[in-house]
Amino acid sequence: MLSHWIQHPPGWFVWPAHPVWLYRVTQGLHVISGVAAIPLLLVKLWAVYPKLFERPMLGSPVRMIERVSIAVLVGAVIFQLATGLLNIAQFYPWKFFFTTTHYAMAYVAIGALAVHLGVKLPVIRDALSAPLKEEPEFGAPSPLARRTVLIGAGLASGTAALAMAGQTVPYLRWLAVLSPRSGAGPQGLPVNRTAAAAGIEPMANDPNYVLTVRVPSGERTFSRAQLAAMPQTTAQLPIACVEGWSASAQWSGVSLRELIWQAGGSADTDVRVVSLERSGIYGSSVVPALHTRDALTLIALELNGAPLNLDHGYPCRLIAPNRPGVLQTKWLSRVEVVDP
Amino acid sequence: MIVRSLRILLVCIGIWSAWFGLTLLFKTGTPELRSIGVWFAGGILLHDGVFAPLSIAIGLGGRWWLPRNWWAPTACGAVCTVALLALAAPVIAREGAIADNPTVLDRPYALGLAIALVAVWALVSAVIFRRRRQLQTGHR
Repeated sequence: MLSHWIQHPPGWFVWPAHPVWLYRVTQGLHVISGVAAIPLLLVKLWAVYPKLFERPMLGSPVRMIERVSIAVLVGAVIFQLATGLLNIAQFYPWKFFFTTTHYAMAYVAIGALAVHLGVKLPVIRDALSAPLKEEPEFGAPSPLARRTVLIGAGLASGTAALAMAGQTVPYLRWLAVLSPRSGAGPQGLPVNRTAAAAGIEPMANDPNYVLTVRVPSGERTFSRAQLAAMPQTTAQLPIACVEGWSASAQWSGVSLRELIWQAGGSADTDVRVVSLERSGIYGSSVVPALHTRDALTLIALELNGAPLNLDHGYPCRLIAPNRPGVLQTKWLSRVEVVDP
Repeated sequence: MIVRSLRILLVCIGIWSAWFGLTLLFKTGTPELRSIGVWFAGGILLHDGVFAPLSIAIGLGGRWWLPRNWWAPTACGAVCTVALLALAAPVIAREGAIADNPTVLDRPYALGLAIALVAVWALVSAVIFRRRRQLQTGHR
């Protein structure tokens, strides 16, 4: 849910610019914990599966409501893990919009879980207050001791996390045999939306390219050479995708606030950055005032010491600290101060 | 009394939250909603109707065929295998599926899955082997 609020911020939501790695951590955790939950869910369902066939099938109204709430819980959790796993692999065999649906279904899952906890609270209390029984490994009523089940679930959960975590955690990269991203890419950085997919190549390579900056007092245009002649800031900032992968890189360019000052505006407001890209829902984004003011919010011209690759947003792109990758708008054509 | 009010609170919050989620879902169009319904019900049916019976059959088969002191390590290996297969499902055989973006789905997933499975089952074998030796030498 936090992830959704960061990406599509509601009016009441504030997300800081520092620490710069925070979104990288929260979103990496979101995806890795989802992956790690897959074996936990399967083991949990395995443990309760016999209850599905308990008699009476429906029984009293309370029992019916309880069964419905469990069906909703199971359906919602399977839905969340399955669609999340397919989304990080950019596989969309469905007709709904993933982002908003995954967010809405989270409320359903949490709701069903709360109802389930409410129903089972006396059972939980009794189980937790009862003394622990030593369960012999052999001759137990279940063919597998509880300890084995827990160890197996834990090991599988860890295995799943390790097979994926390397696209977020640099030192685990070699272990992440099933992660959708190896971490490779032009200038040592993966890409999500390519220049070819965005269809911006002729406009981006146009020798007459200018970046238009609109402030309340008027408009100014800057060529790429003019941007490069302004005071440059270099910063080590992560790019962190909502799909969970992230990587740190060295970015250089003009700070957004410097650009707005040069155009004659004040950097204490929200700023809309608009891409050359006309298609796609992430062709523009709003930089909140908190980020606009920050010296590390850059209109980047260089990545890892070389001019931006076209796939990374040439001629220039936004790179701000602690912000989802989809909102780090590439191939900028306009920067507009939003009237407060 | 405390437990009772906590239960009522949990159920009320739960119903509100689920209802709020449903209203968000119902804001989408009919084809989208139908697709959501298919994936929601499909998940339950696929688990309860296919995956769970299959797991039980394999589990019973394992109990029939394998010696008792193999059960625990084999079960752990089996859960790890299922987890790895689930993670592999959306990426395997899709290397380079996003034609204009070579930076996604850019690993040899079949090879990676094979190596991971070999590693898991090598560990399982090692544990079984150690258990057998412990039993033979009477250290248990």
